[in-house]
Amino acid sequence: MTATTGTAVRPRPPRATGAAPMTAARLLRIELRRNAMPLILPLIAALFWFDSYRPSTATPPLYVLRTFWNMGQGHTIVDFGPFVAGVAAWMGSRDRRRDVGDLVAATARPRWAGQLATWAATAVWAVAAYLILVGALFAVYARQGVQGQPPWWWAAVGATAVIAFSAAGFAVGAWWPSRFAAPVAAFGAFLALMLSSQTGFSSFSGWALILPTNSNGNFQPDSGMLYPWLPDLPIARILFLGGLAAAALSLLGLLPGAGGPRLRQAAAVVTLAGVAAAGTSVVLARTARLGPHGIFIPALHDAANDGSISYTPVCGHAAGIPVCLNPAYQSYLAGVTAALAPVAEEVAGLPGAPVRATQVGAAYDPREGGAGQAMTITGSPPVLGMPVGALGLAGAFGWTSGEAAGQYRLLFVHAFTGAGHGPGTAAQRAVQAALLQDIGVPIATQPQLLSSVGLPSWARTGGPHGPPPATGPVYAAARRFAALPRAIQHAWLAAHLGALRSGHLTLGQLP
Amino acid sequence: MTAAGIHSTPRGTAPAEAAYPPAVAALRLAWLHAVSRRVPAALGLLAALGVLLWVALHYHWNIAGGPAARMFIPLTIEAAAAAVVAVGMYGPFGELEHATGRWLPWLRLTAAVALTAAAFGALAAGATGGNLPGGSVALLRNIAGITGLGLLAAVVLGGMLAWAGPLAYLLVTEVALAGSPTTPWVWPARPPHDLGGALCAAGVFAAGAVLIAVRGPRESRHD
Repeated sequence: MTATTGTAVRPRPPRATGAAPMTAARLLRIELRRNAMPLILPLIAALFWFDSYRPSTATPPLYVLRTFWNMGQGHTIVDFGPFVAGVAAWMGSRDRRRDVGDLVAATARPRWAGQLATWAATAVWAVAAYLILVGALFAVYARQGVQGQPPWWWAAVGATAVIAFSAAGFAVGAWWPSRFAAPVAAFGAFLALMLSSQTGFSSFSGWALILPTNSNGNFQPDSGMLYPWLPDLPIARILFLGGLAAAALSLLGLLPGAGGPRLRQAAAVVTLAGVAAAGTSVVLARTARLGPHGIFIPALHDAANDGSISYTPVCGHAAGIPVCLNPAYQSYLAGVTAALAPVAEEVAGLPGAPVRATQVGAAYDPREGGAGQAMTITGSPPVLGMPVGALGLAGAFGWTSGEAAGQYRLLFVHAFTGAGHGPGTAAQRAVQAALLQDIGVPIATQPQLLSSVGLPSWARTGGPHGPPPATGPVYAAARRFAALPRAIQHAWLAAHLGALRSGHLTLGQLP
Repeated sequence: MTAAGIHSTPRGTAPAEAAYPPAVAALRLAWLHAVSRRVPAALGLLAALGVLLWVALHYHWNIAGGPAARMFIPLTIEAAAAAVVAVGMYGPFGELEHATGRWLPWLRLTAAVALTAAAFGALAAGATGGNLPGGSVALLRNIAGITGLGLLAAVVLGGMLAWAGPLAYLLVTEVALAGSPTTPWVWPARPPHDLGGALCAAGVFAAGAVLIAVRGPRESRHD
């Protein structure tokens, strides 16, 4: 039998150029259906509500405060990571646990490709759930009128952390196909996060900044309101977590039977690239510095992020001087103006008395911890600068409106006497105490005010037994000065404020 | 060809059934059950957790914070031990095993109680490395209660996810400890001799042990 010239030539079938992606997509679809991750997602969602959302609602309606617990301290990662690692370990150990390793090794696709499909399905479920829950969190915050910009970069860090935990857990399961791989991966991840917190709480700089639950310096008091969220540290952490994920997954490609020589070479390259990325991020973290807007890393820093966010301030009046705040703080405007009014009235007409008060960006100082910052009076005409983001807010963290107002008055008077960022000279402290007495803060209660939480460290006078009594030469001089008629006080201040502010006056020179 | 009419196996085609004395047979059954539940591996892991606790206490691994924060790493290790016990309940045979006899509930109960006792023993040995918050009494209460949660998780979620119960409780406890809880259901936050906390933990363990014995871990197609 021959193929004669009259035989019709069968047309050549089209090249199956799209076969590989189609097969990969089908494989992923099958793995998505067979994945165990959806079983655990309701539990994760419940814990997310309990651990990440619920505690955050006790904070003021500002994104930087609402999300500090769940994103700054990494609680969204703690809620997801260990569970994702555990389920990923279970999925990674599936084939060898069921003794079908040889069977799947004989399929058309390399073993590593099959494993990557299983991992990808696990990661897709986990990351999708993470993004949905974080999206829901932000949507709820938006409905509650939370002010500022959401920390998108930190949400991206969380999503990358979920990927990294899924990759690490999967690798554990693939290397050790035991029923105990899942709990070991889950509790190992949890313990790692706890140790990360342990190191992070006490590390303000250096390599430890790369740890996913290290909250030092990553959230600044006015991030997303007066200045942008700095992406430097989030980028470094994404690099770190992404590198670890790539290294963990590509290690599986080095196993015998994972694929052909070329595939194993590619896996070796990806492993090295992942390790290099993670190592580079650690080196970058060691160069990180705390700037006024947050942690910046010179090699990653974009100068465009150094600017302030422009806004139209909301203003009120305190005894005739305008008081202007960022609109995010609008709900606190009435309290701030009411707090400043007595001091503004007291110092009106004196040299250096501010003609307006305006909010300035607050900066986190690791030496001060959560304590507040001093107000400043600068410029000509003088302007009172108020770092409201670092001061007590009425109704937040247990502060009453009276306590917050007392702190604002103290800081205003402190700035007026020129005491700056320290406790001030004895004469400055005496005048400060007298002026506070004049505006209705009795000298006897001032040690308690100075000991209250939220003031800069220079104000703290309390010891383990509470605030000391208002006695001693400073308070004696203050009582003497406060007893003078208001006109005499003003006349003396008008004549001596320059010397007082420069620190040249002694207690004995007070009237 | 038909097998009708054949009522016994031909001589020499099947080995004679091994005749074990009842005590040996019972021990062999228990051993086979233990092996099918990977009890030896579980014991190895519990021993490793004991060593980890010893290291954590000896080298003062602590989370920054008050007394509640200081108990957190030991509590994590205790919950991990509970998870190992719970995952050990997973049976690979499913329906087949149910048809083999009436001893299965007792075997499950024995395995659960014995592994819990082993977990306590391993961690009590590990606690000699330093000062364990709450001491041995709190350790026993915590392990029993969290293991009970793991056993309940095995009944509800299946053996493969039984570890999720202790882990979820650990997370809930972490949040609760930050707020000085008074409910006895957060028993790790209660003093060692607190009756309410002890009753809650014991009740959860009893419920978990009974349910795992009677119902066994949930079988899932994902297993």
